[in-house]
This record gives sequence, C-alpha cells and structure tokens, in this order.
Amino acid sequence: MMTAVRRDGATAGTATSPAGPGPEHASAMDAPMDWVAALSSDGPEHTAALRSLHTLMVRAAGHQVWRMRAALPDTSPGAVDLIVNQAADEAMTALLGKLHTFQGRSRFTTWAFKFAILQAATEVRRLQWQHREVSLRDLDLAIAPVHDSPELCAEGRDLAVALADAMHHVLTTYQRRIAVALLVDAVPIDVLADRLGTSRGALYKTLHDVRVRLRHELTAKGYLPGTQDRQTPTPTPQPQEEPGTTTGGTR
Amino acid sequence: MNQQPPLPGAASLSGPTADALLQDTTPWLSCEECFERMDAYAEAAINGAPQQDQAMDTHLRGCAACHEEAQSLVDLLRDV
Repeated sequence: MMTAVRRDGATAGTATSPAGPGPEHASAMDAPMDWVAALSSDGPEHTAALRSLHTLMVRAAGHQVWRMRAALPDTSPGAVDLIVNQAADEAMTALLGKLHTFQGRSRFTTWAFKFAILQAATEVRRLQWQHREVSLRDLDLAIAPVHDSPELCAEGRDLAVALADAMHHVLTTYQRRIAVALLVDAVPIDVLADRLGTSRGALYKTLHDVRVRLRHELTAKGYLPGTQDRQTPTPTPQPQEEPGTTTGGTR
Repeated sequence: MNQQPPLPGAASLSGPTADALLQDTTPWLSCEECFERMDAYAEAAINGAPQQDQAMDTHLRGCAACHEEAQSLVDLLRDV
C-alpha cells in the first residue's frame, strides 16, 4: 500500500505541529522500545513494528527525494509518491536483511533513516541519468589547447598541463576514464557503477588510487607541497580490465 | 546517428576539477564503511560533539554521493 507523501517528506495527514494528532504522531507513539526485538518477533508486535518502520522509511525517503527534486524528470506528486514509496520499500528490505548487524551505536531510527536516504538518493540519480549515455572518455591533449584558454591564469594553465601529463603517464587507461567520467563529466558514482556492473565502493577505490598517483607525481614535480601523502603508489600502473567505453541508458 | 562529444582536453582539468583530482583521500575509507559509520557520525554532529573520525571526514570530502547522504541524514535528524 502506498503512503502519500507531503513535499517535506512527511506522510500526508500529518499535523503541522509535531505534537499534533495524526498518523505520524500515532506511529511514533506506537514505536517499539526495542525495535530489533519487535522486528524479530512474531504476531501483532511484529506487524506494528513493521508499520512504524515503514512510516520512518517513507519520511526519510521523502526528505531525500525533496532535497534532490531538481534532478527529477517528473516532479508531479504522483511520480514523487511512487519514487518515495518504492525507495522506502526497498530500504526496508535492505534494513531487515541487516537487522542482526545493528549494534546500537546510534538510535535505531537514525540507523534506519540512512537506509532510506541511500536508497532514495540512488534512485533519484538513476532516474536523472536513465536516458543519458555514459561515455568512458579518455583525455585528448591534441584538442582544446590549454594555452588558448583565456579563462585560466598562468598558474592554472601550468597545473592543468602538468595534471594532464601526469594522467597520461601514471594512470592506466581505465583509471583515466573513470576519473574523467566521475570528475570531468560529473557522472554520479552509483550511476557509473550500475552502468559498468561494478560497485560504488570499487569505483571510489579506483578514484582513490588515481588521486594517490596524481598527488605523488605532482608532488615530485613540485606542483604540490611535499610530505602530505601517506601512501606511495606502486611505480608502474598495472593494466586493468577495460569495460566497454559507452554504456547506454535504459529507455 | 550518434555523434560523440569531443574528448576533454587539458583545459578541462582546471579549477574545481583539478582540486577534485588532487584531493587527498588518505586515510582510505570505503563507501561501504562510510555507510556503516554514518548514523553515529550524524548523531554526533547534531549533538555538538563531532566525532574525531579523520577517515570519515576525508571520505566525505572525496565522495560527493556519500557527502550528500551524510548531510541529508544530519539535516533530517535536525528536523525530527
């Protein structure tokens, strides 16, 4: 069953005053003292806990979708409600699968919120890019000559040239293309991960390695102050498997 | 027919892009570990007792998606 969502992420019918009567207030009143026990139990307590948890998830997903609404291709109330409720449902499934890992380092509600925020943000970014191709482009130093760019000051030009040179000499083709996609073309990391069939964490690790190598190289060349890096890259980049260079959006 | 946009040249590596490419993201923290720590990190932030978690701070500066989600969680906690 879908819960209608207000623009601020609260569920419809919620009173303006936090203390006012309404579904959200009633749900908070019904929230279990021990979420893990209630969600792990059987019977009416379990059902009530699931209902309260769903309310939390809708609220957090609604909050996230509202923050990112400018990225949505369709901001009609019906479309937003659908995204929010789907994200809430999927986040609930993810949370329940990890319920045994809750260690109480935060309130349960905070722990729950982050699942809905992650799911909703990922879904909005996916929708934003669903009809856009993602090209894994390499750098080409033969075009767009940096010295012809009047907007760059001399120092910026020198750094850009050095950076481009370093990208060609200390990065693999794959690393360079991932860096360009994420930081030049601004493809969201989870969208790129989805298109390449990899994980957000794996791409972030690639980007981390890129940054370590570039910082090491530009520090050695005197463009960055020394002794800042705590990691030294291996001397020679190892070729990595190269995925296809263009991944189309779903249509 | 698909027409590919021109490849980016060195001029695209200036300003904020250069800063992002040269961001110091050491000590390493994965996106998955960032997600694990995010709830306690956000609560500490709203309680005025930010955690001394250098790896988390560093990761959030280097990962736009995790940064957005952590900030969103902080903002949500402030609202509830």
